[in-house]
This record gives sequence, structure tokens and C-alpha cells, in this order.
Amino acid sequence: MQWRFYGPDAVLIQFGERIGNEAFECSRALIAELEANPPPGLIEFVPAFTTLLLEFDPALAQDLNGIVSCWIDRFATPAAHPLPQARLHEIPVVYDGPDLDHVAEAHKLSSEEVCRLHSEPVYKVYFLGFAPGFPYLGDLDPRLHTSRRAVPRTRIPVGSVAIGGEHTGIYPVESPGGWNVIGHTPIVLFDPSRRASDHHEAGAFLLRAGDRVKFLPAARSTS
Amino acid sequence: MNILVIEIDSPGFGSSIQDRGRVGWRRFGVPPSGCMDDHASLWANRLLDNPADAALLELQFQGAELTFLQDAWIALTGADLGCNIPLWRAVHVNEGDVVRFPQNRTGLWCYLAIEGGFASESIFDSKSAYPRGQLGRSLGASDLLARAALHSFSLPAGVSGRTVPWSEPRDYSKPPPLRVWPGPQWDCFAPAQRERFFATDWRVTSQSDRAGYRLSGPTLEPKPSEIVSEPVRVGSVQVPENGQPIVTMRDGPTVGGYPKIGWIDAGDLSWLAQCRPGQKVRFRLAQ
Repeated sequence: MQWRFYGPDAVLIQFGERIGNEAFECSRALIAELEANPPPGLIEFVPAFTTLLLEFDPALAQDLNGIVSCWIDRFATPAAHPLPQARLHEIPVVYDGPDLDHVAEAHKLSSEEVCRLHSEPVYKVYFLGFAPGFPYLGDLDPRLHTSRRAVPRTRIPVGSVAIGGEHTGIYPVESPGGWNVIGHTPIVLFDPSRRASDHHEAGAFLLRAGDRVKFLPAARSTS
Repeated sequence: MNILVIEIDSPGFGSSIQDRGRVGWRRFGVPPSGCMDDHASLWANRLLDNPADAALLELQFQGAELTFLQDAWIALTGADLGCNIPLWRAVHVNEGDVVRFPQNRTGLWCYLAIEGGFASESIFDSKSAYPRGQLGRSLGASDLLARAALHSFSLPAGVSGRTVPWSEPRDYSKPPPLRVWPGPQWDCFAPAQRERFFATDWRVTSQSDRAGYRLSGPTLEPKPSEIVSEPVRVGSVQVPENGQPIVTMRDGPTVGGYPKIGWIDAGDLSWLAQCRPGQKVRFRLAQ
């Protein structure tokens, strides 16, 4: 496992070369280990597909090399931590996005085929990032891989279901973005008022890393 | 208990409640937010013996106008917005006083601290506004602000005033070269590219906000030009396809797929935050 400095008080660990299940399982094990046995001075960690950012107390910057090496060496023989159970979320989608035709044309498909190919798999939430509660969903059918828009949209509405490269995702808040919007869902992915009473504010997020998502094609609401 | 203390007559270009920001929520995609200039905001709280995490009013550019509903101790720091209250010192204001910020002179962000800090709901361990995520308070005309009454300020007996040390007020029109540490994709930039980065007077463009500052100058060409999306720190200098750097700021995305040539030292990022569109900034290699 490689790592490099990202400023004097942070490191970026690279635990995989390619996006996929192997890297994902490794990231889950790393996070479980971080939660069970965090290295001294750790302030925050942020996972992604193949990398994990660790930010430390700047006062420990002098010792960071040793702290990180030691922690990673220990991880080489990870203790088995029980992982939270994956939950399956069924998310209705109306396939009516402004880029649906573009995605169809780019792959010489009909929009019905795009809808079918997109809603067939059970997707895995690789991680949340970019915006609050935004899920990076992997394992998109290669026939739907579509590069990001050359000019990002300045405003993508809440609930937009979109394709960016080899991933698909759902915009939990209104934001700018470069992904191709193929549909929308009424399901709320991020609700800061939906916090559990035990002060565990993660309840604001519908999805968690490791959860599964199945899209259900839905008819446009007539109301 | 809280005490209503300010009515916003006009928010100007942008007014919000900010503190030191959120820690620990980026793994859910929530950016840190918090004061854009943590040097100025720190001193504003210090002048009033406030806790370091007390919430402040952050004012952007110009145009804000406030009416005080109660006597209070306040401290203004940061950008000079032509205010009728002096900067960088503890000031006592009276009920009925109107405080205006009519004209931006230097810098971009001005901080108003109040004794005890502003009262506001804490969400994800912070009172900082993040409008995109509907967190915290972005302020509009006729909004009311309360202060926490737990802590009141008074000058020690025999002391007539309090200002920051003479070395602390900054001339935002003359930022020093900012220290940059090599970023995770440092190796994607050939030596000539790095040299170009450090030799350029970069211009801050008008497409800059709390999420990111865009710089314009000569084109940088990383190889490869795109990477697998990975975590991005606040202060990262990313280089997208058009070769013009974007510096991630406090409301910016938590992950990104552009190569990062460097990371601006946390102690220097406040200088960049205060650069107005059109202003020039230079970088130097940190060690």
C-alpha cells in the first residue's frame, strides 16, 4: 500500500489501482480499522474509490511519517471487524432528464433501452462525496459509460439521476455539475432535519457506503 | 438564554453566520465551510475574549447595513468595507446605532464578532452556513440575530481600549507569495510546468466564490489530465482540462478528478481568500 504527503499534516493512502470490488473491500477494512484503532492525532478521514485521505493535528506533523508507516504496517494484518450490513434501497426514477437523448444517441440506443440498461443492475454505493449525501454508484453497464459534459451545468436540480463516465449517481442537493442527467427521483437523499435523537447526525443521509441501490422506472407524475 | 442584538437592514452582497467550520463530515460529502479568512475571524473573537469556536457574522464585499437593538461589545476585522466603525479593535456600540459597510476598499471578507458569539443552531457540529446544503443561516433583510448571553465582555479596570498587536492587521492588496506544498499529483507536472506555476503572477478571476477560486494565467498541462476521483483538501490547487488552476475553498466539493499540483499552506490560504477578482497572487514552494 502506497501513501504520500498531501500537505505537512495529511497523507493520501492509495490502496488500489482500479475502481472495483477489490479496492472497495480494502477501503471498508481500512475504515473499520480507522474507527477501531485510529492512529494518534487523526482529525478526519475521507475515503474514495482507491484512495483514503487522513488529516492529522498539525502539531504532530514532525512525527507523521512514523505514525502513518506504523499504522499501515499494523493494517497489513488487519483484525476482522464486522462491517455494517448492506441495505437495499429501491429508488423510483422518472427517466425524463435533459441528457437522456444525448446518452441514447451517443451509444446508438433508444431512450427506452437506456432506461432498461440503467435500471437493471443492483448498484453498490462506493462512497459518499462531492456534495452532502451524493452516492458514487459503481458497476454501470459499459454500454452507458458517457463522458462528462464539456461545459458543466451551473444548476442541476435536487433528485437528478445522472451518468458521469463509468458511474451513476443522484444529486441530493441542487448544485452545479458536469454529469449527464437522464432522470429524476422524488426520494430525499439528504435531509439535515432527519437526525436521530441520539445525536448521531449520520441519519441525515439516506445512503451509506456499502449500501445497494436498485432503480425502479416510474411513470411521470400527473399531479 | 439569548439576547436579540442585531437587525439586518441589508445583507449587501452576502452575509452569513460562520464559525471554524465542520470537522468529520466530509466522508458524507459535507464540506467544512466556516470563515473564509480564519486569521481575521480568530482575532475578532480574541478581542472579545470569546471562545475560538464562537460564531461570527461574515460580510462579503460591500453593501451590508445593520441596526443594533441592544448595547453590545463588537469587534470588526478583515476587509475594509468603508465601515463607520474602526477595524481590529474592541468597540462598544449602543442600542439604535446603525452600522454600514458601503464601499469595499481592500479585501473581500469582513468579520463582525459579538461578545459571547452569535446564537445559531449547530448542525453537524458547527453553526456555519452552507446554503447549498441548507445548513446554517444565510441572512436577508429584516433577519434578526441574537447573541449567546453566557459570556459578557468588559475591558479590565483601568484599560481604555483593546486592539490587536500592530503586526496583525493585513494589507490585503499586497499578499506575500503563498506557501504551496507538493500535491498528490506533483509528479504529473513536468519540471517546466512546476516552474511555470511558481513563476507566474496568477490573476484571481470573477468566477470565484466560497467553493473555489479560479486563477488565470499561462496554461498548465498535467499528464495525465484526469485521475480517478479522490479526496480533495481545502486549499488544493487543482488543474482542470483547460489548464487554469482552481483552488478549492471552504464550501468546495470533497472529492474531485483533476490533478492537484499543490496544497496551499493552511496559514496562507486566508491571504488568497481576501484577494479580490483581478488581483494578482504568486506562490512559492513550502519546506
